[in-house]
Amino acid sequence: MSFFARNALIALGITVAIAGTVAYTVNYLNRARITELVAIENQLSIDTLSLETQFSLLETAPCDSVASSSVLTNELADLGDRLAYAEAQLGKNNVQVMQLKKQYSLLEIRDYLITKKLAAACGAKPVTVLYFYSNSGDCSDCDKAGYALSYLNTTYPALRVYSFDYNLELGALKTFITVNKVQRALPAFVVNGKHLYGFTSLEDLEKIFPKGALASTTATGSTSSPQASSKP
Amino acid sequence: MVIMVWSPDVYIYPFLFLALYFESFLLVTFLSKPARMRRLKTAELSVVPNVAIIVPCWNEETTIAGTVESLLALEYPKEKLSLILINDGSTDGTPAVIDRFAEHPQITTIHKENGGKFTAMNIGIEHAKDAELIGFLDADSFVAPDSLREIVAAFDAPDIAAVTASMSIHKPITLFQRMQYAEYSLSITLRHVFASINGLYVAPGPFSFYRRSVFTEIGLFKHAYLAEDMEMSMRVQRAGLRIGNAIRARVYTKGPSTFPKLLTQRVRWTTGFLRNALFDYRDLLGNKKNKVLGMLVLPFALYAVVGGISLFVYGLYQTITHGLHTISMAQTVPFSFLFSWHPFNWFYLPFTITTLLGAALMLNVFVWMMLGKYLSKTPGKLVLNIAIFIVLYGIVAPVWLIRSVSDVALGTRTPWR
Repeated sequence: MSFFARNALIALGITVAIAGTVAYTVNYLNRARITELVAIENQLSIDTLSLETQFSLLETAPCDSVASSSVLTNELADLGDRLAYAEAQLGKNNVQVMQLKKQYSLLEIRDYLITKKLAAACGAKPVTVLYFYSNSGDCSDCDKAGYALSYLNTTYPALRVYSFDYNLELGALKTFITVNKVQRALPAFVVNGKHLYGFTSLEDLEKIFPKGALASTTATGSTSSPQASSKP
Repeated sequence: MVIMVWSPDVYIYPFLFLALYFESFLLVTFLSKPARMRRLKTAELSVVPNVAIIVPCWNEETTIAGTVESLLALEYPKEKLSLILINDGSTDGTPAVIDRFAEHPQITTIHKENGGKFTAMNIGIEHAKDAELIGFLDADSFVAPDSLREIVAAFDAPDIAAVTASMSIHKPITLFQRMQYAEYSLSITLRHVFASINGLYVAPGPFSFYRRSVFTEIGLFKHAYLAEDMEMSMRVQRAGLRIGNAIRARVYTKGPSTFPKLLTQRVRWTTGFLRNALFDYRDLLGNKKNKVLGMLVLPFALYAVVGGISLFVYGLYQTITHGLHTISMAQTVPFSFLFSWHPFNWFYLPFTITTLLGAALMLNVFVWMMLGKYLSKTPGKLVLNIAIFIVLYGIVAPVWLIRSVSDVALGTRTPWR
C-alpha cells in the first residue's frame, strides 16, 4: 500500500470516528432530554394527583392546598419550556415529543380545572389565560403571540397561562376546546372566559385582561423563557 | 434508539465531513515520518552553492529599500550571493531608490519598460548565469537573516526543483492585516505538511527558490493569468519534479491593509488558481502519477471555493432569518426581555451535529495556526489575531470567492492592483 493510500485510509478512519462520536453524543443528549421530560411529567402527574387527592381530603378546608397549586403551575411552565425546546430540536413529528406534549396538555387541563375549583371554594380570583396556537404553518402571528404572552407571564407571575396546540390529536383537548367555545381562528386567547382572536400588539392583548390584573407583580417564582407556556 | 431529526443543516453535513477528512489527513501526514524528518532537519550546509535572488519591482518606492537591506543582511557567503533588482517600468520613485544600490558589489540593477512581473523575473533569470539556485522576492517583503541557509539546506535531493519559505505578515496593524497574520500561520503548517509529500501547487512570490536547471528544462515564467508563480509550480509538478519547503525560512510580506486592496489581491490569486487548474493544467486533477496533488490537494482546493461559498450562503440565510425574527419580536415585546439572562441548564445546550463538528473543525484550525507560528519561530501575537480572524474571515473570504467565480465564469479580466 502506498504512503498516500495508507494516510488516506487512516484519515478516513479518524473522520468516521469523530463524526460517529459527534452523532452519538448528539443522540445521547436527545435521549437524555426525553428521559428528563418523562421524569418531569411523571413527577407532575403524581403532584397533580396528589393535589386532587388533597382537595378531596380537605373538603372542610380546601384552601390549604392553594400554595401547592401555584408551585404546580410554575413547574408546568418549566416543562412547557423544555418541551418547546425539545420539539424545536427533534422536530414536531417526533413520536415521543408528541406523546409527551399530549400528556403535558392533559396536565394543563387538570391544573386549570383544579385552579377553578380552588378559586370557587376559596373565593380567589386568579387570572387564567388559555392560549391556543398552531405550529403547522397556518398561524403567522402565533410566534409573536407566544412571545407577548411569555412576556406577560414573566412580568406578572400571578397570571396562570395554559397553552395548547390547537391541532393536537387528543380527545380531552378537543372537548376542552368545545367547552370553551374556541374557534379555529388562531392565535386565540381566553382570559377569564373572555375571547380574543388574532394578535396585533401587546397593548391590544393587555386590553382583554381584567382591570388591575396587570398592575401587580406579585411573585410566585415563575421564570418563563420566551417560549414558555406558548408553544410547547 | 436513534433520535435524529431532519433540518436544513443536513445540506452542510457533506461539507463538514469533507473538511474534517481534510484536516484528519493533515494530522496523519503531519505525524508521519517525512514531515517529522523535515522538521528535524538542520540548516547545516555541506555544499554552499551560488545563489541569485531576483527582486522584480513595480512602483514599490516605499518598501524596496527595506527589502534589499534585508537581503544584504542574509547570513550567507557574500561571494556566493548576488542580488538582481529589476525595475519593471515603475512610474514612482522606485528607479531612484534602486539606483542607490547600483554600486554595491553584490547587486545588479536593471531598468526595463513595464511588461508584467513575469517578464521582469525572466530577465533576472537570464542575468543569473552563474547561479545554481535562483530565488525571487517581492519588493514588499523582507527576510530573516538565516532564511537563505534554511532554504539551501532544503535542496537535499536532486529531484527537488523548488523550495518555498514560511511567509507571515510584516508588522500587522489593521484588522485585515491581523486577520491575514492568522491565515498565514495556518498556511505555514499546510505548506510544511503538503511539501513533505509533494502536494504543493504554488511556490509563492516571496522567497521561493528554483534550481537553475528547472528553467532550462521546462522553460521560463509565463503570464499565466497573473499567477505566474502558481503556473510555474504546476509545470514543475507536471514534469514529475518536487517542490519542498523550509519551515524555518521566514519571510515577512506587507499584507494589504484595507478590504479593497485585499479583495483585488485575493481575486487575482483565486482567479489565477481557477483558470490554471481548470483550463491549462486540468490534467493534474485526478492525476494518478502524483496522487497527493491530483486526488487530494487540487480537488480540495476547488472544493474550498465551492464549500466556502455554500457555507457563506447558508450562514447568510440563517443570519437573515434570525435577524428578521428578532426584529419582529423586538417590535412585539421589550428588547430587554428578548435578551434577558437565564440560569444555565444542560437541557438547553445547543449541541447539534453542525455546532459540534464546526467547533471541532475550528479548534483544529487554531491548533494548526499555533503550530505554524511555533514551528517556523515566527514572531508576533497570534491569539489576538486569531480572534480577529474568527470575526472577519467568514465574512470577507466569501466575497472574493464569489467575485472570482463570477470573473472566471464571465471571462472578466483581472487587474494586478
